[in-house]
Amino acid sequence: MVVVAVISTAILIPLALIVPWFPAKASVQAGNIHTLYDVLLIATVPIFVVVMTTVGFSIWKFRMRPGQEKQDGAPIHGNTRLEIVWTILPAALLLGMCSYAYTVLRSNEDSKRGEMTVNVTERQFAFEFSYPRAGGKSVVSPVLYLPKGRPVVFKITSLDVIHSFFVPEFSEKLDAVPGITTTLRVTPTRTGSYPAECTELCGAGHSLMRAAVNVVTPAQFAAWLAKQKSGAPPPIGSAGTPPGEQG
Amino acid sequence: MATAVAEPMAVKTRTRVPLPPALRRPGWYRAAMFEVLGLGFAFGITALIRWLQHIHPVVSGNAVTTVGLFTVPLFFLVGLGVGDYWFYWASGRATRPEDHSSHGARSWRDYFRVNTDHKVIGIQYTVTSFFFLFVGGLLAMLIRVQLAKPGMQFLTPEQYNGVFSVHATVLIFLFVIPVFAGLANFVLPLMIGAPDMAFPRLNALSYWLLPLGGIVMLMSFLAPGGSFAAGWTAYAPLSTSMPLGQLFFSIGVQFAGFSSIFTALNFLVTIITMRAPGMSFFRMPLLVWANFSTSLLVVIATPFIAASQFFVLLDKALGFHFFDAFVGAGKNGNVLMYQHVFWFYSHPAVYIMMLPGFGIISEILAVKARKPIFGYRMMAFSLLAIVVLGFTVWAHHMFVSGMQPWIRIPMMITTAIIAVPTGIKVFSWLATLWRGVLHLDTPMLFALGFLTMFTLGGISGVMLAMIPFDIHVSQTYFIVAHIHYVLFGGSLMTIFAGIYYWFPKMTGRMFDDRLGKLHFWFTFIFANLTFAPMHLIGIQGMPRRVAEYAEKFAGWNLFISFSAWILGFSTLIFLYNMVASWRAGPRASANPWRALTLEWQVSSPPPIFNFDAVPTVVGGPYEYGVPGAVHGIFKKPAESAPVAAGTFSGSPRQEQHE
Amino acid sequence: MEAASIAHDHHGPPPAHRSSRVHAPTLGMLLFIMSEVMIFGAFFTAYFFIRVVTKDPWPAHGTVFPEGPTGVNTGILLASSLTLHWALVSVKKGNRFGLKAGMVATFLLGLTFLTLQVNEYIHLGFAPHDSAQATVFYSLTGLHGAHVVVGLGALIMVTVRAFRGHYTADEHQGMEVPGIYWHFVDIMWVIVYTAVYVL
Ligand code: HEA
Ligand code: HEA
Ligand code: CUA
Ligand SMILES: [Cu+2]
Repeated sequence: MVVVAVISTAILIPLALIVPWFPAKASVQAGNIHTLYDVLLIATVPIFVVVMTTVGFSIWKFRMRPGQEKQDGAPIHGNTRLEIVWTILPAALLLGMCSYAYTVLRSNEDSKRGEMTVNVTERQFAFEFSYPRAGGKSVVSPVLYLPKGRPVVFKITSLDVIHSFFVPEFSEKLDAVPGITTTLRVTPTRTGSYPAECTELCGAGHSLMRAAVNVVTPAQFAAWLAKQKSGAPPPIGSAGTPPGEQG
Repeated sequence: MATAVAEPMAVKTRTRVPLPPALRRPGWYRAAMFEVLGLGFAFGITALIRWLQHIHPVVSGNAVTTVGLFTVPLFFLVGLGVGDYWFYWASGRATRPEDHSSHGARSWRDYFRVNTDHKVIGIQYTVTSFFFLFVGGLLAMLIRVQLAKPGMQFLTPEQYNGVFSVHATVLIFLFVIPVFAGLANFVLPLMIGAPDMAFPRLNALSYWLLPLGGIVMLMSFLAPGGSFAAGWTAYAPLSTSMPLGQLFFSIGVQFAGFSSIFTALNFLVTIITMRAPGMSFFRMPLLVWANFSTSLLVVIATPFIAASQFFVLLDKALGFHFFDAFVGAGKNGNVLMYQHVFWFYSHPAVYIMMLPGFGIISEILAVKARKPIFGYRMMAFSLLAIVVLGFTVWAHHMFVSGMQPWIRIPMMITTAIIAVPTGIKVFSWLATLWRGVLHLDTPMLFALGFLTMFTLGGISGVMLAMIPFDIHVSQTYFIVAHIHYVLFGGSLMTIFAGIYYWFPKMTGRMFDDRLGKLHFWFTFIFANLTFAPMHLIGIQGMPRRVAEYAEKFAGWNLFISFSAWILGFSTLIFLYNMVASWRAGPRASANPWRALTLEWQVSSPPPIFNFDAVPTVVGGPYEYGVPGAVHGIFKKPAESAPVAAGTFSGSPRQEQHE
Repeated sequence: MEAASIAHDHHGPPPAHRSSRVHAPTLGMLLFIMSEVMIFGAFFTAYFFIRVVTKDPWPAHGTVFPEGPTGVNTGILLASSLTLHWALVSVKKGNRFGLKAGMVATFLLGLTFLTLQVNEYIHLGFAPHDSAQATVFYSLTGLHGAHVVVGLGALIMVTVRAFRGHYTADEHQGMEVPGIYWHFVDIMWVIVYTAVYVL
């Protein structure tokens, strides 16, 4: 049985790792999270295999055979050493996973040098991105343009119910909560256009609440930003500045 | 109220009003009459208040509905006679001696009236909640029809949101939670050698609250603006800005909630005060331990969801500002508060939906492997550990909610640690299989199916506990996959196992084992085919709660839909098996599984008062394979012979009873 | 339980074995009170979030919570606990007059508290929908008010039974258990009063 377990682990782990789980990797954060997921797979597949093989083996080895109808199993009541082992081992493993996850979290969320701020304002059922400029003016756009390689910090809020801001390729997501401003950090690493989705149920239009995200070269970005008129009227209704700050 | 039931009960109340007897006697006619009164009351009270406050028009549909949703069901209960004894008690007339007129089922009619027999209530509970499984499952079928193809078809977005919200609400509040209460209601008093629950009348009230809550929730489909559609989580401020239908959720949950609180404290008191002589805490079957832990969770946690829905109700109906972030500068409500209050109930709730299942599995594995449970004490302690830890992890549902970021860290650790006691249970079950004699019949198959599927669901849960990964998959189909691996592969599998296991005891008939196995294989295979791919499309980025999705997910979703339909179809096999066997199955002996626990030592179905004399417990409940081991001894000389494990099938007692 | 009371009835169930010395209805009431405490806990969570997390001024600008008058009212409610205890002590001593008088006094004190509280609502000068603080104020005090109503209901039942000659020196759980609930309602008010008015 041990052999079976080892072999199937050896087969399953690579299998689990080659499965193309994630969408394209388009941010530093995404990279870290993909590795974290691989680690989690490597840590948990063996556990799953142990459970499965034990069940399978017991069915094969200990199932009732004709003539055993009235027989009972071995009266084993427990085994303290074994119980201690399967308390300590998972605990250790889990704490290990937690500490690694924590380091990933830190490196993903610590503020970086040269960050660019983008305000994300959401309402039923649309996104609105505004780029603050000197003199209180700001460029407002329904489409999100980001320069490749530049750390971005999103200041997210909502004008009605709870929405959220999720770009699968960035592997980052955060709710837009009315009344407070939430902070999300992403460093795009791959040019291309991706969907931004609202993943928090927000009413009838929830399924269709999407926006386009374009990661472009810094040069292209500068050009695009220059073309936009500062303080232009928001394309989708008036946003206004949301009341209340981080509370 | 608790006192009331401690005293002898009255026969029938005599109302002084000169009414036809049918309307005077407690029962359906009087209940119907009282419903009308309830509606009238709601009508009058709202009109009066609005008139006093000079609000026009004096009669408002919304107001009447809101109040009526409370008063009509409550008046119905009064009419049905749930409270007759208490009113009689309150009126202070001389107490009459108990005559047990409300106890036990002698004909099918006794299942359709207020009955104080825990066995009748247990069956009422189980059957009612299975009705709701089929409702919720049918809604799931609608979900899968809508999602079979990308793009909008068949349902409007509003309808779709309504469908999955009701799907989840019905299956959680009206199926999983009550069906466990039902099974325990039937089995638990028998297991601990008690003639009934501690508060039989409160028990009846608990049951009758359940169908009322269910009707309220399903009626929401008739509400103007459609059913409640903010998800089963009903996050504010979305829920407070929803049409009238949302109230049906907020109020329906109150009925379901009170029902489970009353049942829970009934279980706790029964377990503490009514165990048979010799039944020390560490001789209790693990199902009793499981329900003890669950009841603690219910009593402590459930008030929080009641409160959260009261908040929503007040915000919606009376314009309060709990969750209104835009009242004005410095006067803001707090939006995240809803999620904290809600999850402080709803995380413990997921263990309320799992621990009783753990108990069922422990019973079945020990009996079907013919072995003592491995590490009995650790099994009991791990339950309590889960109860304690369960209250320390609620914010793992809020990793992306925008709450203070630091809260996530302790929550991640406690959440991960919960896997340890759960792991102890899983590993102990595996060790229980080891070197046993496995009877691979239907209950056992479902138990093993549970072991495998729940482990997968639990592991995906532990992955979700890892904040950065959760940030990626939160609110995607990965969550939906986790939900169903733990709720379908976990709870529902244990429920099926338990139903098959105790079917002979409840009905006195055997089920068709071949059909049972067929049901298992269909369920096991197609449940996995349905829910496993959801992990993938979830990580790929398909959000949950969407009626329409990106083209690239089309293939998998079609596959999932087909598997889901077959899965749904498989439950029809179960339905047929249950109905046919109950009506015409072969008679069941008292102890077909050769189990030691007390419920199997009485006839099937058990006598109306459970025992002629309360048995004495002299050993552990799982001493299989221990030569001559004994769990319970029955006092009556004719019945003093103990069941020695592994010696012969059936018990000598069954003859006396049949 | 009831089983015990009809131990000799051949058609009834066997007498249940008493596996614990605690009195079942009392235990049930205590567990129910545990849930009640949690209900208040949830409402205090709302209070905490509005007052501490959102950092709103307390009370809202231009509104006052009448600390003094309500303090007196608190005293009245606490007095009702004493009279209730007196009633219990009396019935234990077999003093029926003490029982009846105590119950009536308790009920009247409770009623006074309720009327004064309603009167306060009328003259406060702000409504629940004026501000989040007002919302919390009304829901916390209102929740407690609802419990007072339920408590009064229990008290009046006990009083009626007392006047109809129930309860004796050795058979009085029928009043003791509702009594526990009333004491809980009083204690809870002290906490609400301190949190809402005083602090
Ligand atoms: C029966 C119900 C049930 C159960 C038992 C669980 C059990 C667990 N759940 Fe689950 N959960 C839900 C029902 C349940 N859950 C539901 C309904 C939701 C969605 C709510 C919504 O948003 O609609 C949810 C959501 C949910 C989230 C939030 C996801 C999100 O919305 O972003 C998280 C995050 O931490 C989580 C974690 C866990 C964990 C760690 C466990 C643990 O208890 C699991 C422990 C078990 C095991 C781990 C397996 C056995 C153990 C071993 C074999 C030992 C060795 C194992 C290891 C070392 C890994 N769950
Ligand atoms: C115990 C709980 C439970 C159970 C048993 C199920 C069972 C099923 N669930 Fe459910 N589900 C939840 C709890 C549960 N679910 C929760 C909590 C959510 C989250 C909701 C939210 O986001 O708010 C959810 C959400 C959810 C979604 C995501 C919706 C969305 O986010 O957009 C989907 C999608 O496929 C789904 C599918 C299914 C399917 C196919 C089944 C199947 O297993 C059902 C199979 C059973 C039957 C079908 C029985 C009925 C059978 C008949 C009536 C016979 C007739 C059959 C035919 C006509 C074919 N569920
Ligand atoms: Cu906005 Cu969903
Ligand atoms: Cu949880």
